Amino acid sequence: MTSKGSRALGERKLPPYIPLLFPAVAFMVLMYVWPFISSVIQSFLVEDQPSLANYVKVWELYRKDIVFTFAVTLFNTALTGVVAVMFSVYFRLRQNRISALLSAIFKLPIFIPFVVVSQMMNSFLAPHGLLNTALAQLGIVNLEKPLQLFNFTGLSFGFAWKQIPFAVLIIHGGFQMIDNSYIEAARSVGAKMPSIILRVLVPMNKSSIIVALVLVYSQIIGTFTLPYMLIGGKVPTTITVDIAHRVNYFRDFGVANALGVCSYIMVLFTAAYYLRSKIREARQEVSG
Amino acid sequence: MKKKSISIAFLLMLVFGLLAVQGAVAQRTRLIFMTAGDVNMLALGQNVLAPGFMAENPGVQVTTIHTGPGNAGSQTIFEKLLAEKKANRPVSDIDVALVHEIFMKWAMDEDLLQPYAQKANTWKYVTSPFAKTTMGVNVEGYVMPLFQSQTAIAYNPDYVKNPPKSYAELKEWVKKNPGKFGYNGIKGGASGVAFVMGWVYAETGKYQKYAVTGPFEKSEVDSWEPVFKELKEFNKNIVITAGNVGTLDALNRGEIWMGPVWVDMFFTFMNEGKMDPKIKLALPEPGMPGQPMFFVIPKNAPNPELSRKFIEYVTSPKVQADEIVRRFNWYPGIDGSALKGSIPQDIYDKIYHDVTPADLQKKGLAFPLADYYSAILEAYERWAQ
Repeated sequence: MTSKGSRALGERKLPPYIPLLFPAVAFMVLMYVWPFISSVIQSFLVEDQPSLANYVKVWELYRKDIVFTFAVTLFNTALTGVVAVMFSVYFRLRQNRISALLSAIFKLPIFIPFVVVSQMMNSFLAPHGLLNTALAQLGIVNLEKPLQLFNFTGLSFGFAWKQIPFAVLIIHGGFQMIDNSYIEAARSVGAKMPSIILRVLVPMNKSSIIVALVLVYSQIIGTFTLPYMLIGGKVPTTITVDIAHRVNYFRDFGVANALGVCSYIMVLFTAAYYLRSKIREARQEVSG
Repeated sequence: MKKKSISIAFLLMLVFGLLAVQGAVAQRTRLIFMTAGDVNMLALGQNVLAPGFMAENPGVQVTTIHTGPGNAGSQTIFEKLLAEKKANRPVSDIDVALVHEIFMKWAMDEDLLQPYAQKANTWKYVTSPFAKTTMGVNVEGYVMPLFQSQTAIAYNPDYVKNPPKSYAELKEWVKKNPGKFGYNGIKGGASGVAFVMGWVYAETGKYQKYAVTGPFEKSEVDSWEPVFKELKEFNKNIVITAGNVGTLDALNRGEIWMGPVWVDMFFTFMNEGKMDPKIKLALPEPGMPGQPMFFVIPKNAPNPELSRKFIEYVTSPKVQADEIVRRFNWYPGIDGSALKGSIPQDIYDKIYHDVTPADLQKKGLAFPLADYYSAILEAYERWAQ
């Protein structure tokens, strides 16, 4: 009996990696997983009773905003992707002083916080702001009827300004890894620039482009300051502004969490895609 | 070697110095002043009120604690006091608290405060109706207002010769001048919220019921659909600005000719040269909401006499004139006429020129009771956008 018991105890001895992993895993569970789960749970609670009322309210009041958020995010991710690839290709293929200088300047926006970008865009894009007055000086715009940019367009401009350099940083890094011999080989069989980009560079750099797009996508969905300071109380606005509104004015965490769940779903969708492609890559590496 | 001993000596001096300071502080009477509100309230407490009061009362150490902006900041103070009560703490940690209106509704229900105001030597200056009832709760004797922050319509007299005297006139003006009135909706700051509250008061004529007496009735909410449909029409001819500051900036840049603003922010912008000095203020009928912040003393405050003395200091005409009006551009918590000798005539004229103390008495309204407040905001989302 005793020997069996002691053996059982001996068997139960923790493998060494458990205590090593414990702090990190515990931290993740406590600080990320649990809040996430509790946010989802709370979105289904009204006065501690299970209910779908929060989602009904989201549907009634905020469905336009959800569509708007999704549209802004998709559009800007696509825009960022296309422009960032173009810049990265330029920096990769034309390595001279000018491109080095440009790529250095291009790193600046990455270090500027969103709140500063928002304030900047706010005064730059205003009806009588810097952009409109400058265009009016050139006679392109009439200040009585200035460009209205506190909307989808202005928001996209702000996001593109901030996110393209970030995407370039990642994508350009990927392009740097591609050996010149591939480009030269393509050229020697007569490939023109567009087909070098689309059929050699981009496919070989697919993984870092996807990483960049996933990061840009989830950052745009989660950004509060830029939409808040640029379009604020306009209709439609973004989910993040609505969440702040529900919490600040109603202390209504139920609906705020339900709105949160909507944005998690939008993000999960890309995260799932990203994970799947990573797993496929890993499998290919193993089998190859 | 020599360097090392010097630095050790320096360290020792520092340590003993700190200990000495600590000792001196320990001997003083502590006054814990807890304030809700934005960071400007912390600045007011730490940089202005505490040093001023300590200079007059050498034995006292005032510590300012800041709980955060908006109703949430007041809620933190309420929860602290409620927890003390539930734990049967004989003496509170807080000497004086500075809170929003909604706090009074919660705290009076739980009996957390003591009546002190009528004993204060500055009580005679308090004429604000907010110091009697607030959000439908009788608070007379329990509160002294620190300031009154008020919303009003700012306008550019170059384009607006006769500012609208009522919401009805404003509606007409907007029809004739599309795109020249701007406010920030209800999600971009409280000046827009206040404008919408004023709209509901004007359209329904039920200010008394919604903001003073209550009770909350669901049928009232259902009756608002036409009120907000009308506002939706109104919104077609205006611009939604990007926040409280957005409205001020748009006025300053001449993008809009009229818009609702917080009066204190307006004057601060003016003083800092960020606002076209031509811009003026008007308070249309039936009025627009504003809100005070109140001093309260917890029921079992450790030094109620000292707490009251602190409040008397802050509500004295001199501090009200120098700090509340001149430095922070709020309307005073005490009656404006009591300040007449204490502030230079030009400043008095500036803040009371467009909107007079009599206007404020009549048209400085309260925000609705909490339930109506939420219902109005949600009705706006449902019907006006």
